[in-house]
Amino acid sequence: MWMTSRFPALWLLPTLLLVATFTLFPIGHALWTSLHQVMLLFPEQEWVGLANYRAVVTGEYFGVALKNSLLFTLWAAPLVVVIGTATGLFLHRRFPGAAILRSIVLLPWVLPGAISAVLWTWVFHPSWGVINTLLRKLGLIDRSIPWLSDPELAFVSVVTAHIWTQLPFTIVLVMAALSTLNREVLEAAEIDGASAGQRFAHIVLPHIKAILVVLLIYNALTAFTTYDIVYAMTGGGPGTATTLLSFQIWKESFSMYDFGAGASVAFIVVAISALLIIAITKAMPSDLFTDS
Amino acid sequence: MKPAGLIAAAALAFSMVTVAPAAAEDITLEFTVWNYSLDTIQDNARKFETENPGIKVKITDYTWPDYHDSLVLRFRGNTPTDVAYVGQDWLPAWAAAGFLAPLDDVAPADVLDGLKKDIAGFSLSDMTYKEKLYGLPYYADTISFIYNKKVLEDAGLAVPKTWEEVMAAAEKLKAGGMEHPIVYEFDQELPNFFDAFVSQVYGRGGDLFDKDQKAIFDNPENAAYKQLQWLTEAFKKDLVQQETHESKIIPSMNTGKHAFTIVFNYVLAALNNAAEQPLAGQFALAPMPGETHAALGFTKFYAVTAQAAKDPARAEAAWKFVNFMAGKPYTVAKRWAVEKGLGFGQVPLFDDPDVQAAWNKWVDSAVLKQQVATAHGGVWTEWTSVWTAYFRPLLAQAMVGEASVDQVMKAGAQRWNELREKMRK
Repeated sequence: MWMTSRFPALWLLPTLLLVATFTLFPIGHALWTSLHQVMLLFPEQEWVGLANYRAVVTGEYFGVALKNSLLFTLWAAPLVVVIGTATGLFLHRRFPGAAILRSIVLLPWVLPGAISAVLWTWVFHPSWGVINTLLRKLGLIDRSIPWLSDPELAFVSVVTAHIWTQLPFTIVLVMAALSTLNREVLEAAEIDGASAGQRFAHIVLPHIKAILVVLLIYNALTAFTTYDIVYAMTGGGPGTATTLLSFQIWKESFSMYDFGAGASVAFIVVAISALLIIAITKAMPSDLFTDS
Repeated sequence: MKPAGLIAAAALAFSMVTVAPAAAEDITLEFTVWNYSLDTIQDNARKFETENPGIKVKITDYTWPDYHDSLVLRFRGNTPTDVAYVGQDWLPAWAAAGFLAPLDDVAPADVLDGLKKDIAGFSLSDMTYKEKLYGLPYYADTISFIYNKKVLEDAGLAVPKTWEEVMAAAEKLKAGGMEHPIVYEFDQELPNFFDAFVSQVYGRGGDLFDKDQKAIFDNPENAAYKQLQWLTEAFKKDLVQQETHESKIIPSMNTGKHAFTIVFNYVLAALNNAAEQPLAGQFALAPMPGETHAALGFTKFYAVTAQAAKDPARAEAAWKFVNFMAGKPYTVAKRWAVEKGLGFGQVPLFDDPDVQAAWNKWVDSAVLKQQVATAHGGVWTEWTSVWTAYFRPLLAQAMVGEASVDQVMKAGAQRWNELREKMRK
């Protein structure tokens, strides 16, 4: 007891060492890499200062990757939260088969991202994909829609697949938040004549708003740094249609062998992610996380 | 016995127990492969182990798309690796980075000379860096033009000999109700995407680089420039169905809804596999369209790593394994050719009756021999794979109409020449 109160840092040391080994060291090494020429072709690892950052930012793909990443985030994050919330609200109700449905909804969660991507590649296949087959059977199309080979449709397809993979986590958290809501309050409001919309706006939403903000931030970060879906579904293409910054990190490092440039993109992604978090939290009411 | 004598005897006995097994210890070679026909690879390795007691082979496999990155990570992380599959396009960078050892360092010179005489010219060039041989062929082949005989016959079309004739035939087929007469492997992250383009350019009789390895394809008169214009037009006219992988081209072509594709020859073997494909027998290889009908020849090969070469015993074992897999009497290469339809760089196998009998089931071997004879290798430099990683998305951009052919070719040529200058410094 005397030791704990006298030397608290000593007791934290094992944990701090683990954090330093697995977090701070890789970050420090990545920063070092971003400031040096680390290329497979050139063994000398010279100090280049901000040259990697300059080269990346003025390069052929950075601008479009940044634009795509921001658009991807702006579409995917709110849609995941809105659809996830709606699904969570629906599944929170009591109805026959609800338990089975809740389990089914969680399925995308157990699939690795790359598997989900392969699955969606087949769903969007022009000749025998489920979507085109269905549309053709319904008589809505007579020609295949090139979901993954048309640049604009490819972007929509990748966003759709990403949303699908992220929904379960959002639904689970929304349902967890809803489970702490006193049903009697809702029943009382219903007896008092409040409509479903009024009950949602005045009782449910204030109750779950904090978790929704957390989910928005989480989904914004996930969308902004997503990689596996794009890699497996489109390889960033066609052309640059689905090239995202996170994909560009891999591309610079492992496809062009320029680890310095890859680390630079990674740090730019970290900086933009931090800005995103600050922007979202600043936009929220200051009493969001306090009990009203 | 005195205590000192007892201790000495015990020490001697202990050292015999501990040292003797170490001297007879097996060498376990770490062999990395991409996972094409893993069963066959494993079976070949087991046969090698039987013939070479004391040497074991541990196989680590990766998928083809992940292979290159995984190997770079293995090498950079000093993960033990003795023998590896290597692609011709990676050789200059990997050799320059010190990942691989020349076979001259690990193999007897006379044996190596005897093997070199049997290897096809393009294949030998693919495996050579700075005048040193780095491997023996696992698979050497061409990227070829494939068509559906029945579709063309039914439509009254002749086999196209130029790209203009391919376009005309595709347009006629489309007018007749075929939605996408051409199937194209379209994964801009795969090397195949660039290689298939080069093969088409060679068909036109052109090249992307001059003798000094300077980019010349930004000239509108260059064959590569013209071929990209051709592809862009074909995509614009909606004649092309994209498939992300060759494995999807096989079922696609077997729907009978497409007439042409450009793929590795073993895909033709799969297309004409009567046991698995409904339209087997309908597909044939035609000389690559264009003025010269040349095509890109390429080689995937077994290489010994620099790590293995440092240890004489390990280097010897690694060489034995490579020689077993690709050396005389070419048993393993023949097995791949007969059972899987894989091409080879060992020229004598072309005259092997078993190979001929097996290949005639899926290809007109006379046409294939002609295509192989006119094939030539790519321009593989230290910076080629870095550059193709940059250039492939540009090619794709032009094909799908995101950028003009001129923009793409100029940006690609500029980047190539920058890397060339940088490397030469």
